Order: sequence, then C-alpha cells, then structure tokens
Amino acid sequence: MADAPTVQEAERFLFAEARLLDERRFEEWEALFTDDAVYWLPIDPDRDPARSVAIIYDDRKRLHERVYRLTKTPVLDQNPPSRTIRFVSNVEVVDGQVGGEAIVYCRQLITEMRPGGPGQQGLNVPRLFAAHCEYRLRRVDESWRIVLKKVVLLTSDEPQYNLSFIP
Amino acid sequence: MVVREETLRSYADLVADDPREFRVNGSVYTNPQIFAAEMQCIFERTWVYVGHESELPASGDYKTVVVGTQPLILTRHEDGQIYCLYNRCRHRGAAVCRQERGHSNFFRCPYHNWVYANNGDLIGMAQSTGYPDDFDRSGYGLVQAARLENYRGLLFVNLSDEGSSFAEHIAPVRRYVEYWLGRSPIEEVEVSLPPHRYEYPGNWKLQAENGSDGYHGNYVHLSWQRVLQLSKESTVEATQQYRQSGVARGLANGHGMLERPGSLNPNSSWTARMMQRYPDYDGAMRARFSDEQLMEISARRNILVFPNLYLFDTHLRVIVPKAVDRTEVQLYVYALKGVPDAINEGRFRGHERFFGPAGFGTPDDIEIFTVVQTGVRARGNEWNLLNRGQHRERVEDGEWVGHTTDEAPQRSLYRQWQRMMAQE
Repeated sequence: MADAPTVQEAERFLFAEARLLDERRFEEWEALFTDDAVYWLPIDPDRDPARSVAIIYDDRKRLHERVYRLTKTPVLDQNPPSRTIRFVSNVEVVDGQVGGEAIVYCRQLITEMRPGGPGQQGLNVPRLFAAHCEYRLRRVDESWRIVLKKVVLLTSDEPQYNLSFIP
Repeated sequence: MVVREETLRSYADLVADDPREFRVNGSVYTNPQIFAAEMQCIFERTWVYVGHESELPASGDYKTVVVGTQPLILTRHEDGQIYCLYNRCRHRGAAVCRQERGHSNFFRCPYHNWVYANNGDLIGMAQSTGYPDDFDRSGYGLVQAARLENYRGLLFVNLSDEGSSFAEHIAPVRRYVEYWLGRSPIEEVEVSLPPHRYEYPGNWKLQAENGSDGYHGNYVHLSWQRVLQLSKESTVEATQQYRQSGVARGLANGHGMLERPGSLNPNSSWTARMMQRYPDYDGAMRARFSDEQLMEISARRNILVFPNLYLFDTHLRVIVPKAVDRTEVQLYVYALKGVPDAINEGRFRGHERFFGPAGFGTPDDIEIFTVVQTGVRARGNEWNLLNRGQHRERVEDGEWVGHTTDEAPQRSLYRQWQRMMAQE
C-alpha cells in the first residue's frame, strides 16, 4: 500500500488542482496529467465511450488542444472569461489499487460566472455544478499525477449552457 | 413594442422579401407574442422532426417530446408500429408518462389508474363499476397526433390534418437526404444515445439560421482553425480557403443547406479517405453506388429540414424552442450502418472535438446566439439584413444557389416562416 496516498495527501493534491483551475493556470494544470491520461465528462457514465459521445472525452493530445485553445487562441466563448470557485469534499481513498494506480473519490461543487456589461444575455449569471468525481492517481518522481479525471455532473444528461471553462 | 405591433398589418410584414435588401425585423427574436404565434402557426401546423426509429428499437420503447407547446409520447406498440400520442389522460388530464425515455408495455395514469396500451387504447380503469355497462372504452384512448410519417427512419409528426402532405413538404430536399444516408452502404443510420444537449438564452431561429451559414466560420471559429493548425491537420489559411468552396442552397418550403463539394480524392473528402483506409467499406460503397453518386454522397452538407431538423455528417440536430429567448438543441450522434466500427468510433471522437457544450466549436456559436439576442433588443434600426449574395445568386431547378458565404438558405427559411405566419 506504499503507493496509495493518505486522505490528507489526496486532499492536498485535489485542493491544489482546484486552485490551479480557479486561478486559470491551465498549463500548470495540464502538467498534472500523465501522457496516457483521460479527462472524461460523461453524459451517461454507464455507456461505453467507444460507442457513444461524452461531453468531454479527452486523451492527452486533446487535453493539450483544449488548454491551447483556452490560452493561446481568440476564443469567443471565454471572452469575457469564466470566474470559478470550486469546493472539493467527501474525499475517499479506495483500498487497493488498479494497475499501480490509486483510486480517489470526491464530490465537487463548481461555481461559475462570466462577468459583463448590463443586459448581456448569458453573462452575469452565477451557475452551480455539483459533481461526483473519480480520480486515478499514479506516483511519478515522488509526486502524484492524474491518469483519469472523471467528472459526473448532477445534470450530466440535461441541456447545458457553455461548458468551455474546464469543469 | 406594443406600438410597433399596432402599426403592422400582420406577422408577415416582419419579413421584407425585397429583391435587393431582404430583411427580417428584430422582433421575431424578442417578442413573446410572436413566439406564441410561431408555435401555433408553424410548429403545430407543419411537419416537425421528433426522433429516429432506432431510438425505439423494441415494442414498448418510448420517448416523450414537446412539439410546439404540445407534450407527446412516441412509442412502439406490440404490433411493431410507432404511435405518437398526446400525453394526457382522457379522464382528468394528468400526464400519463413522466420519463424522458424508457420501456413500458402500458402507460398508467398515476391519478386514478387508467391504463393505456402503447397504441393509445384504453385497456383498464380502476373501479370501473363506477361507469355504466355500456361505457365504450374505444372512444377514450390517448389521442393520436393527426399525422405521423416514418421517412427512411426519420420520424416526423404533424399536429394538423390540414396543409401539405409529408411528400410535398420534403420533396425539395429529398434527394439531399438520400445522399446524406448514402455514406452508409446500406443507407441506414442508427442513433447512438444519449444526445449532446445544450441550451442558450436566445431565440430558436438563431440556431436555424446559423447551421447553414457559411459566412461566420472564419471569424467565430478562428480558435478552432488554430487548433487544427496546432495538430498539423490544416493550416488556418487552408481551412479558410476550404470555407470558400461549395455553395449555399435555399430550397422551397423553408429548407436549405451549406454544401462543400464532393470528391473521390482521399485528400479532398472524408468519404473517399475512409474508402481508401478501409477496403471493406470501399468494396461495399462501390458495389452500391456509381462514381457519379459517390461524388454527391461525398459532398459535405449541413441540411436544414424546416423547421427544426439539421442533418450533419456526425449528428441529427434537433432545435427545441422553449421560449422566445430560450432554446434547447439536441445533437443525436449516429452510427453509419454497414461500416467498420473504427469509422464510427472515429466519427464520435471527431464530433466531440467540435460539437457539444464543451467542444471546440459549438460554444463559440452559442456565444454568438447570446450576443445577437442581446443586440436585437436595440431598436435604433429594427431590421436585420439577410441580403448577402442576392445580386449574384442564380435559380436552378427551383433552388436559389449562391456563393458558400451567401444567405440563400436563410432567405428560404424566412420565406417559409412568412408564408406560415401569414395564415394566422
């Protein structure tokens, strides 16, 4: 069990990850992922991703494209950009490992708003996203890296307004 | 707003079909009364897409939909047929189905346990001795929608007995629908649930206009073009050049499309590229179609089937108006039947990359819908221009054919809108 984090270690990692996203430090956030990582927001978590679509099903290459698009291109849907404040709680480290990876569950509440001028449709409206999350973590060079980040929104199968900030 | 309504003769005056300056009045996006009239005069009087038969493969499968203002159940009965029923108990009006989709061999009203078969027949009532012996159940089934049509698996409902037959309605766009199906060598598609769903605070017609708008791509989707450049798939310059190719078509009955040219060259079309990569697919396609047909099939089209369906190369897009400034859009990704699994998996991943609420393209379009919805409230000048390319379009076989960046499809949409709204 040497390679499973304690709950406290897992929390420290997840809080730091949430802060990188809230501070829009997307490139540092991207560096938390291993080369074989998957970032997954399913619509229906019970469906096989090979046979249906997800809201997000990023391999490492597409994750890089996502971060590149947000940070290096004139992206309309994040102009003005989202503000987010994320709460991470109910952190559990699952006993045992799968393929040398630790499984960590948590709950997240993501609050988001895009500020703008008066009367702008879609702006100035705070939104709430509750989610249960699964992380698979692997120790690489003495620090934890994300192999899987799976975020299942409470409203995963409901219509969504833009989710182009990183949920 | 009230003043303007009083000065207008009818809703038809909100579209100015001027040969030099086709215009649409901004109130068509903002006025709740106009929205209510649209639901009545368009969505409850014409052929509205409600689903694909592959969503209901087995007897007992159902989904619920709203057409205009009307809640409906679409369900497959034990006779194998699909029925479209009003979701309202004949007794005291309760909805008999609350789920979005599922499987059930009957619909039981939760209020007093009246039970209906999947074809709508009333088959049971709690404590039925409270009704006379000669109570004729056959007169109290769930009411069926006036007309339901299964066209190549695409299900359309018309809540009115009057007006065009489905054959008349679809005729101008029919051959393009057939080409669209032709990327499957057995000409069938299978919807893969669940759909992508997004909702934006804007009018439904903004999505209807934009799906076949060839003018916005280089500006709204510049970030997407930069991603393609990053991945070395295409330089921004090459993408922008590609976006100059093809035509925009406005058809009769409100239909229209944006079309990129077909090709048998793997470098120039997705279909030809897949045929080169997968010999089985190549063999099946060549056995079914001539080269001339393959040229048409390999053309990429975004086809609006008026008023609420778009056929895209990865998905069926359904526009669901909810309020004058609230619209839901559902993207039903489909598998092409009779092709290698790897082709469909590639199509799903490719779809996710651009489309859906967290794709690299859709959110930019949604942003524009909200920007327009904000802007059209300003009444300094009430008219939006849809006249791009009017001076250079040509009429061929009853179609208005223009440059790929021209607004021919949007003009067709509003001509049909005007025709239907004038009947109010």
